[in-house]
Amino acid sequence: MKLKPLFQAVGLIAASAVLILVICLAGLLAFILQTSQMSQSWNAPVSAISDSLSQENGRYVFTGESYLEEDGLWAMLLDESGQVTWQWKKPEELPEQYTLTEVAAFSRWYLEDYPVQTWVREDGLLVIGAPQGSTWKYSFATSMEVVNMTPYWLCFLFLFSIACVLGISALFLRRWFRRAQQARDEARSGWINGVSHDIRTPLSMVMAYASQLENAPELPPLRREQAALIRRQSQTIRDLVNDLNLTMRLDYQMQPLRRASLSPAALVRQTAADALNSGLEEKFQLEVDIPPEAEQLTLEADGPLLHRALSNLVQNCIRHNPDGCCIAIGLRQEGNDCLFQVSNTQPPLPEDSPPQQEPPLPPGAAPHGTGLKLVGQIAKAHGGALQLAQRDGQFLCTLRLPLPRP
Amino acid sequence: MRAVSYRILIVDDEPEMRRMLAALLEGAGYRTVQAASCRQARQACAAEAPDAVLLDVMLPDGDGFSLFGELRRGRDLPVLFLSARDEDEARLRGLGLGADDYITKPFLPQELLLRLGAVLRRVYGGKEEDVLRLGQAQVHWGTGTVERPGGTASLTAKEYALLKKLAANRGNIVTIDALCSALWEGPLVGYENTLMVHIRRLREKIEEDPSRPKYLLTVRGLGYRLAREETL
Repeated sequence: MKLKPLFQAVGLIAASAVLILVICLAGLLAFILQTSQMSQSWNAPVSAISDSLSQENGRYVFTGESYLEEDGLWAMLLDESGQVTWQWKKPEELPEQYTLTEVAAFSRWYLEDYPVQTWVREDGLLVIGAPQGSTWKYSFATSMEVVNMTPYWLCFLFLFSIACVLGISALFLRRWFRRAQQARDEARSGWINGVSHDIRTPLSMVMAYASQLENAPELPPLRREQAALIRRQSQTIRDLVNDLNLTMRLDYQMQPLRRASLSPAALVRQTAADALNSGLEEKFQLEVDIPPEAEQLTLEADGPLLHRALSNLVQNCIRHNPDGCCIAIGLRQEGNDCLFQVSNTQPPLPEDSPPQQEPPLPPGAAPHGTGLKLVGQIAKAHGGALQLAQRDGQFLCTLRLPLPRP
Repeated sequence: MRAVSYRILIVDDEPEMRRMLAALLEGAGYRTVQAASCRQARQACAAEAPDAVLLDVMLPDGDGFSLFGELRRGRDLPVLFLSARDEDEARLRGLGLGADDYITKPFLPQELLLRLGAVLRRVYGGKEEDVLRLGQAQVHWGTGTVERPGGTASLTAKEYALLKKLAANRGNIVTIDALCSALWEGPLVGYENTLMVHIRRLREKIEEDPSRPKYLLTVRGLGYRLAREETL
């Protein structure tokens, strides 16, 4: 039931990750396209310019003005000794002679803040310059190791940023889902609480008057029997409302578990005594089976809740055996588990037989409703389980709870 | 039957509920005063001086818990809470207000009368409760002695506590564990044998034939029961 919103959340996060990836790639592509056009001026076709400069009869003839003029570029040609042998619109502040160090420096960086490109020719070095401040020039060198690692780094960065996006969105989604869930839970629990409250007050009056009629000596026995029936059925409704309420509270973790050290043997005796004290009919027999070794057991559990669970199991036996039966409440230790066994037969199953010979009853099948569901929930809240077995119309309910580790 | 007729204040906003409770209590020999709200309850408390209060938790002009505090401020007035909500019980325990009892709606009339009677007895005492009759034997709680045609015997402290616990639940089974925790503190494993010794001595004092007890009965595997007079 909770899987669907989980899938939705995962899908939503994955979709947003893909969307981010697509936007990033598209942006990068657009940037590259745009800048490649703008950088055209810098990438002046140096080789074409060089080709358009030729020597004729000891004089240089230049036909490539069109390449240079548009962007305000200039050009000069240095011979082997560093002397300017030809120039085109060379800024005046630039010298006519260059040393080897100066050539080495400007080929790499700038020439007097003019960004320059160089082209080696047979008759010297062609230098193409751009206006100051027009181009950012940087000479880049790195080890192959770094180059080889770069893809991994990029991949890692990409995955890391995706993970960040996922994490943040998951956080928000969770809060969002939780808020929605909380609102639903509150509405549901509020409704059940309200209904149970509104049922209980009128039921008090039904029970009280029915009980008075039941004990009224002036009424004929038949009428008194009818009143008794109303009283009994009202009690059934009351138990149902109580069980429903507690079930809901356990479902929504509204029932705090007040764990305390208790003796399961004492709990079994108290449950049996309460059942007998509340006027168990003659046709029912109640047997308590606590072997001496089980007397020593201690549980860390919520006493009133466990008492409720055991009483429900006993009541279940009473309700489903209207002709009477023998109800046995047993206590066993099995491994590190404490087993409460309630059955409507005497010694339930042989000691050494496997715990479940009959398949467990599916939830909702046969003789249980809210009462048994509640027992299962109480067991679960204590980290245990309820097992139900059926054989020839006889039921064995085993409430298995883990014993505290010494 | 009752020497004093106690006056009970019923605080509940439901008129039908008040009428039902009043009829029930008056049928049992109590006098009743009714209030539908905190304000009326305060007035009734001042004017009528009730001996005990049946207090609904949900009231139109406030909740029973705060009213309880007010009522208790003046004097030690026994209060029984009536509530239709499970969470009230948890809240009541959490607050540690010291209410005398707590009854969840719906309840059976006998249950209410029993609990109210117990609270009134505890707070105001009762002359007729000073003596426990077990056939020819009479247990005098005031002196802790058992009077029988053959003579008088004194009860030890443990025997007294044991008999008191059983008498308080007369007719009902009291488990070994409940008896042990009434007698001793701390972990109770291994006390059963000592308990049996006390039971045997107690039988010698109250039963005509201790080996065939008629009053202090053993319920095998569970505990003990003090038989009711009428079942004999």
